[in-house]
Amino acid sequence: MTPQSTTVAIPRRTGVRVTAATMGIVAGLLAVVAGAFFEVRPPEAYGVCMACHGRDLVNWTINALAGTQLTVAPASLVFPVLTTVGVFLGALIGARTSGEFRWWNPDNSFKTFLYGVLVMNCALIAGGCSIRLLLRSASGEALGMMGFGGMAAGVVLGTYWLRWRATR
Amino acid sequence: MTAAIATLIIGLVLGYLGQRSRMCFIGGIRDFILVRDTALLKGLIAFGLTAWLAFPLVGLIAGTASGTFGAADALTDVVTMALTIAGGFGVGYVSTLANGCPLRQHVLAAQGATSSMAYLGGFFIGAVIFHAWAASFLLRLLP
Repeated sequence: MTPQSTTVAIPRRTGVRVTAATMGIVAGLLAVVAGAFFEVRPPEAYGVCMACHGRDLVNWTINALAGTQLTVAPASLVFPVLTTVGVFLGALIGARTSGEFRWWNPDNSFKTFLYGVLVMNCALIAGGCSIRLLLRSASGEALGMMGFGGMAAGVVLGTYWLRWRATR
Repeated sequence: MTAAIATLIIGLVLGYLGQRSRMCFIGGIRDFILVRDTALLKGLIAFGLTAWLAFPLVGLIAGTASGTFGAADALTDVVTMALTIAGGFGVGYVSTLANGCPLRQHVLAAQGATSSMAYLGGFFIGAVIFHAWAASFLLRLLP
């Protein structure tokens, strides 16, 4: 008598395959073009930033609804930049068309909520998320390079911390 | 309005490509340290190199100085420099613990990860917290 084998149906993943390098090239080009041709400035090197653009959207909306005076970048004074909305919708299209959308909870939501608060505050202190810090560095801004250096150091230390915690 | 429409379209492209490529702007350094995997690191380097080349080229085409190209004013204020480095460090360290940069968290939330949706909730509330309370405190530190 042969043992019964069980098979697990793995959903077939379809969709366009894109390398991270391709994404990097397209994102780098679009970030510069946005500032030069589509009025996503001032400040300089503001083409793509998940933190600053998210801040602009939230603060502009609260200002419009409640009459407050929360800070928005000059590029978002008339109408807020919508990068964060676009990224979410674009990723949703990618996930739906490739069959990769599924409800799941990989981490503690309260913990990740706090991480979100911390990352936004740190990004606004530094003047950009990881993308804009690199964009500012690429534009030749010394302060951006310092911020990116700090970010790289933070990633290195965080990674070693995670490895130490996993192996102890 | 031009900026809003342009950033919405650019965001759609980046979101789609980010989902298909699993791109993460902190994951490249993390993966290289942990398993010597360079896939995401290539994306990080490609972004930096492309932008570095595109700033002067696009500036020439558009007839504008599209970057700051070594502005010296930033180097006069030690407190600003220290805050920028500390803020950058916080972005890198906490993003590593959160398992992804803000772009990656947006993509994961769009893929149905509820913890990333909670991250985005904190992320956007964090902007209000910063400008309502934290910024006024930090401004006192500046000369």
